[in-house]
Amino acid sequence: MDPEQTKLQKRRTGIPGLDSVTGGGLPSGQATLVLGQAAAGKTVLGLQILANAIERGESAVFVTFEESTAQVKRDACSFSWAGQLLGSERWQLIDARPHPDAQVAGEFDIEGLLSVVGASVEDASETWIVFDGIDQLLQYQPSQRAAVEQVRRISDHCEARGWTLLLTGKTDGGRMTPAHLDGIEFLLSATLILSAEVCDHQLKRFLRIAKFRGSGHVTDELPMIMDDDGIEFPFHEPLPGADATASTERVSTGIPKLDKLLDGGVYRGSSLLISGRPGTAKSTLAAHFAEAACRRGERTLYVSFDELAGPYVRNLASVGVDLRSPMTAGLLRFVSLSAHASQVTEHFFALRRLLDEFEPQCLVIDPVSALLKATASEEACMVTEHLMDLVRRRGITTVLTSLTGLQDPEGEATRGQVSTIADSWMVLDYNVRAGERNRSLSIIKSRGSAHSNQQRELLLSDAGIDLADVYELGTDVVMGTARVAMENEAALKERRQKLEHQQRRLELERRMELAEQERRRLEAELKLEEEELADAESLAQVYRSKIRERRDPECEIPSVHKGTDEGDLS
Amino acid sequence: MSRRAESTEFSMPVLLLFVTGTAPRSQRARVNLARMLEQVGRDDIQPHEIDLLEKPKEGVKHSVFATPALMKVGQGGDVSVLYGDLSETDRLQQFLSDLNYD
Repeated sequence: MDPEQTKLQKRRTGIPGLDSVTGGGLPSGQATLVLGQAAAGKTVLGLQILANAIERGESAVFVTFEESTAQVKRDACSFSWAGQLLGSERWQLIDARPHPDAQVAGEFDIEGLLSVVGASVEDASETWIVFDGIDQLLQYQPSQRAAVEQVRRISDHCEARGWTLLLTGKTDGGRMTPAHLDGIEFLLSATLILSAEVCDHQLKRFLRIAKFRGSGHVTDELPMIMDDDGIEFPFHEPLPGADATASTERVSTGIPKLDKLLDGGVYRGSSLLISGRPGTAKSTLAAHFAEAACRRGERTLYVSFDELAGPYVRNLASVGVDLRSPMTAGLLRFVSLSAHASQVTEHFFALRRLLDEFEPQCLVIDPVSALLKATASEEACMVTEHLMDLVRRRGITTVLTSLTGLQDPEGEATRGQVSTIADSWMVLDYNVRAGERNRSLSIIKSRGSAHSNQQRELLLSDAGIDLADVYELGTDVVMGTARVAMENEAALKERRQKLEHQQRRLELERRMELAEQERRRLEAELKLEEEELADAESLAQVYRSKIRERRDPECEIPSVHKGTDEGDLS
Repeated sequence: MSRRAESTEFSMPVLLLFVTGTAPRSQRARVNLARMLEQVGRDDIQPHEIDLLEKPKEGVKHSVFATPALMKVGQGGDVSVLYGDLSETDRLQQFLSDLNYD
């Protein structure tokens, strides 16, 4: 037999997260069991899958065993896709609630139901069917065996007719299956369990794939949220493909001296974590980055937790950071979220939708540690991890700030796992010395960059942030007034050295001058001596030639000397 | 509608038996019902049989999807339903008790 033909075929549910974890959807031409307590989202899941099918041009049949048709329509109306479902002629809603006060006198079959639904299905390969609350009918079966047999019957019928069907049933308490339907979770080829639990006073929803015969799937409990768009799985939506070629482009942090320390800035598409205690200028640093990004013409999303745009922007203006102009120009979008108001999962989802919608090139989250304050914060690690993965894959250059405890400037950043995931990590802190509190900045890590390990003093003025080199004093660094004093001392010392050097030079020049004078004097002396020597030499020669004349008279005496010579010698 | 026609014509409760072809439970229900009607002396009543395999739309109309099911339409139009193959004779007898005095 051709394995391709027997291979499980899947049909998309149109819910991105669910299609992703199931590797393409639920079994096509088979029944899938959906179990869950009341209000776990079974009916909504069914309706949403049908709405998606309708949108793709398929047909849908919804058979309700528990709620009235009016109630089902009301359920759908809370969601954005209600119109496409309720307005379509390709969907049928069948009220199959058992008659009120119905009695039972023996076992019954479900063939009638299948026949009725079959009459509504034109093309099974183009139809999604939902049996919502089947347990409401089957509870009338006098025996569990008969009830379970009916579920098997439905399953067989689906296989035979190629129906893709969702069968939902209500469970109560800690039970996994409806009381009278024990064992049905093993009958069907796929079983989804929906659950809802109150945690930190908020309802948290999960979906778990308990069984998926013949298909790989995620077995974890998947955090699920229900908002205007219906059921969504924020952490399991397919991620954009990661860009294999990491950018080598550097983008400015908005602070030239900091860029220099980072070997030119941060890599485009990388993430920078700025952690520090309250008031260490984390936000200002992040805002510098945002301002610089906007100046480069890049769309920037600025997410602030627990701060409103108005005061935030005003405060930044006082330190020379102008966010108002890019906001007006539409380059910067400022979003203010309330950490306590939602679950971490919902925050993540909101961020994800913002990224989809605004498509920013740069992102600031100030502070990301606020997620730890949100309820259900045990998921904060997961959320930050997912968030970092998401922005990295999208190539968004990200700056996250993280508020840390007073005693522990590096603590919470690591609790949220951000510091291990972020590409670069800076810690801002105070140094208290000689009655002064000075801000400092140190780069703890910066992947793929040579970076300075020197702690710097961070200066905050109405022109923004600047960095100053710090001085070492023994094993400590010196900042603030102490640094200024140190700087003065150094300047003085330098001046002194310069003067000394000049003096020494003058002295040497003077001595060189003296030596030169002496040389010239000696030279003159030498010259004089040489002249005297030459004179003496010529006198001696004249004397010798006169002696020779006297000894040899025949020799002609030069006429020029004759007269005088004769007179002198006579 | 046949149901309404019968109820006015005979001025008595109308019994509708929903079945699916020759399914074993449907067969049993036919037999059990006939036996009970005979037992209570009302074998003059002919239950109107609706086969959902042939007329699925009837199921939607009457909102009956489980078979076999016995539907009784009273003179005031009130409807009651008994699900199952009618093998529990006590329940069946009780369901049909108001027929005795007609």
